[in-house]
Amino acid sequence: MGDKGREFYQEFEVFSKRTFKSPFQHQFSLLAPNHELAVVMAQENFMRREPVVDIWVVKRSDIRMFNQEEREALQRLDNKEYRNTKGYGYLKKKWRDKEQGMLDEKEILSWGGDDK
Amino acid sequence: MTTMTAFERLSDEEKHNHFMQRIEAGEKIEAEDWMPEEYRMTLIKLISMHGISEIMGALPEKEWVPKAPTLRRKLGIMAKVQDEMGHGQLLLRVAEDLMKPYGRNREDIMQDLFTGRLKFHNVFHMPAPTWGDAGLIGWLVDGAAIITQTNMLKASYGPYARALQRICAEEVFHAQHGEAIIMALAEGTDEQKALVQDSLNRWWESLLMFFGPAAADTTGSSKQDTTIKYKIRTKTNEQLRQDFFTKYIPRVLSLGLELPDPTMRYDEEKGLWIYKQPDWNEFKEIVRNNGPKSKERLRLRQLSYENNAWVREALSPSNEAI
Amino acid sequence: MMKTPEDVRAQGHEKALKELLLQLADDDFIVAYRGSEWLGLAPHIEEDVAFSSISQDTMGHATMYYQLLEDLGLGVANDLAHARKPEERRNAILLEEVNGPGHYLEEPRYDWAFAVVRHYFYTQAKKIRIDSLQASSYEPLSHVAIKVNTELYYHLMHWKTWFKQLMTIPGEARERMLSAVSRSMEDAGGILALGPHEKKMTEAGLIEGEEFLKKRWLHEVEAMCDDCGVQVTLEPMMKRGNGRALEHTEDLTDAIKTLSAVYRQDPAAIW
Repeated sequence: MGDKGREFYQEFEVFSKRTFKSPFQHQFSLLAPNHELAVVMAQENFMRREPVVDIWVVKRSDIRMFNQEEREALQRLDNKEYRNTKGYGYLKKKWRDKEQGMLDEKEILSWGGDDK
Repeated sequence: MTTMTAFERLSDEEKHNHFMQRIEAGEKIEAEDWMPEEYRMTLIKLISMHGISEIMGALPEKEWVPKAPTLRRKLGIMAKVQDEMGHGQLLLRVAEDLMKPYGRNREDIMQDLFTGRLKFHNVFHMPAPTWGDAGLIGWLVDGAAIITQTNMLKASYGPYARALQRICAEEVFHAQHGEAIIMALAEGTDEQKALVQDSLNRWWESLLMFFGPAAADTTGSSKQDTTIKYKIRTKTNEQLRQDFFTKYIPRVLSLGLELPDPTMRYDEEKGLWIYKQPDWNEFKEIVRNNGPKSKERLRLRQLSYENNAWVREALSPSNEAI
Repeated sequence: MMKTPEDVRAQGHEKALKELLLQLADDDFIVAYRGSEWLGLAPHIEEDVAFSSISQDTMGHATMYYQLLEDLGLGVANDLAHARKPEERRNAILLEEVNGPGHYLEEPRYDWAFAVVRHYFYTQAKKIRIDSLQASSYEPLSHVAIKVNTELYYHLMHWKTWFKQLMTIPGEARERMLSAVSRSMEDAGGILALGPHEKKMTEAGLIEGEEFLKKRWLHEVEAMCDDCGVQVTLEPMMKRGNGRALEHTEDLTDAIKTLSAVYRQDPAAIW
C-alpha cells in the first residue's frame, strides 16, 4: 500500500471524565484518520467497562510535551513551607490560647456544602 | 531553558550509565527519554510481537464467536475476542511510539507480519477445532498469558507497564469466561466432558511451549537475559512455566481431567514439577510460521487488511472531503 | 396499557405482540451475528473494537426481546434464538445477507461499504421504531425500548460518521458507497415493514403504522444524503421478499446452520 494508507494512522490522545464531578483524565492513545473517527473509537477502545460522562480527543502533534531535559525543570527544593499551611501550624496553639478553633483546610472546605 | 542542555552534552557512555541508574532505582522510562539502542530494539521486538500476537490470537477463537451455543456465551466470547483486539491495540500503540524515531508506524508492523519478519506467539499457530478449545483457550492459554504478563507489570518501560495494567485487569474476566465454559462442559454430559479432555490433550504441548525454551541452547535464541537485565521482566521462562503448573495442575485434576503427560509429578525435594519436554524442534518450526495453522491465519489477516485498503487510502488526511 | 402477559391475552393481542417481538428479536439477532463475523476483519484495529461493542449491544437487545417472548410463555429465549428454522424467522432480508463473498474464516472478501450502509440504514430504522415503541401499549416492551434507546445514540453516531466520511470522498470510496446504497435500497423495505399483521399491531397500540415509520426514515436518510452532497433514489424495496412474511434466502439457512452449530450438538445440554 502506498503512502496514503500510512497517513490513515494519525495519533490521538484520549481523555475522559468518569463522573460529572471528576476531572479529565488521560486514558491512552489511538490511531484514526481524523478527529471525528477518533471520537467514535474512543469510548469503546478504552472505557468499555467503566462509566464515562465526557470525552476529549487531542491530536498528538498539538501537544507540546516536556522532553527529558526539560523535566529537570520540574524539580524544586523542599523549602517552601510558607506556601502551605505547614508554615503556619503555630497558629493553632495561639488560637487555642484564645479559646478559638483553627480554621484549617478541612474546616474551610466543609463550608461549601449544605450538609452542615 | 538555555541551561537545559546538560544531558545532551553527556557522552554516550555517561548517558548509558545515567540510564542504568534510573533502571536500578526503579524509575520508569518514557517514550521520549534517551534509551540505549539495545533497550529500544528489545522493547520493539518484545512489544510488537506481544501486540500482534493478541491480534493473531483473536483468530483461533473467532471461529467460535458466531457458533457459541447460547446467547450468553455468544455475548461472552464476543467481548473476550474484542478484548484481544483491544489488547493488541494498546500494545501496538506502545510499540509504534518506540519505532517512531525510525519513521515506522502500524503499516510497517502489518507488513512485517505478512512478510514473516514479525513473528507471532507459537500458541496461536494451533488449530481450535471444537467448542472445548474455545473454553480451553480462555482458561489455560489465557491463564498462561496472565502468568507471563503479570511478570512484566513492573516493567521498567512505563508505557508497557501501564498497558499491561489495563490488560491484566481484563485478563481476569477472560480467565473466568474460560473457566465458565470449561466448568459447564466438565459438569455436563459424557460427550461434553470428552470435549474438555480432548482439548486438553490437543493443547498440552502448546501450553508447555507457551513460556518458551528454558535456556537459549534449547532452540538457539532467547531474549530472556536482556529483558531481565533491563528489568523488563523478573522471572525466567522455566520459572514461569513452573508457576503455571503450580497454579493450574491442581485445578485441572479437580475437574476430573487426566494429565496428558503420565510422567508428570511434583518433586517435593527440589520444589519443581518434573515433566516431559515438548518437541522443541517443532517449536522452532512453528515460530517460523510453519505451524499447522500459520499460513491460513496469516492469509486471513492479510486478506482482510488488503481488502480494506481502500478505506484507509480514502480517509488519508491528504484526501480532501468535498 | 397492558402491564402483563395476562392483560395481553385478555385483550386478545397475543398474536400481534408475538409477531412484533419476533421481528424485533430476529432483526437484532441476525444483524449482530453478521457483525460478529466481521470481528477481527475491520479496516483497522480500533474500529474492530468499536464495531464489536455495537454487535454486543445489539445481541443484548435481541436477548431482551427473546426474554419478553419467554415471559409470554412462547418458548425459552435461548431456543427461540438458536432452534427455530429459517422459515420461522421474521427478520428482514437485508439483515440476513452475507457480509460479502467468502466465509468468515476462509477468504472473506467482506465489503466495508456494504457494512456501513446496511448498518446505517438499519440503525436509523431501529431508532425510529424504538422511538415509537417507547410509547407502546405493552408496558414491558416500552420499558425495553427506553433501555435500548440509550445505546442507540452511539450506534447511530458511529454509523453516520462512517457513512458521511466515506460518502464525501470523491473517487473509489464514494463509488463503492453509492453502489452499496443502491444495492441495500433493493431490500431496505424489509427493515421498515411490519408484515401481514401490521393492522393488528397498530390497533393494539403496540407501535405506529409502517407508513409513519417509513416516512420518518426517508426524511432522515434524505437529510443525510443531502448533507453528503449526493443524489440518491430513495425507494426502499423488498426485491427478494418480505422477511416478516417468512420469506428468506439461502443466506439465512447458512447463517442458522453456523450460529446453532454447537447448540445442535445437544439442545438439552447446559452449555
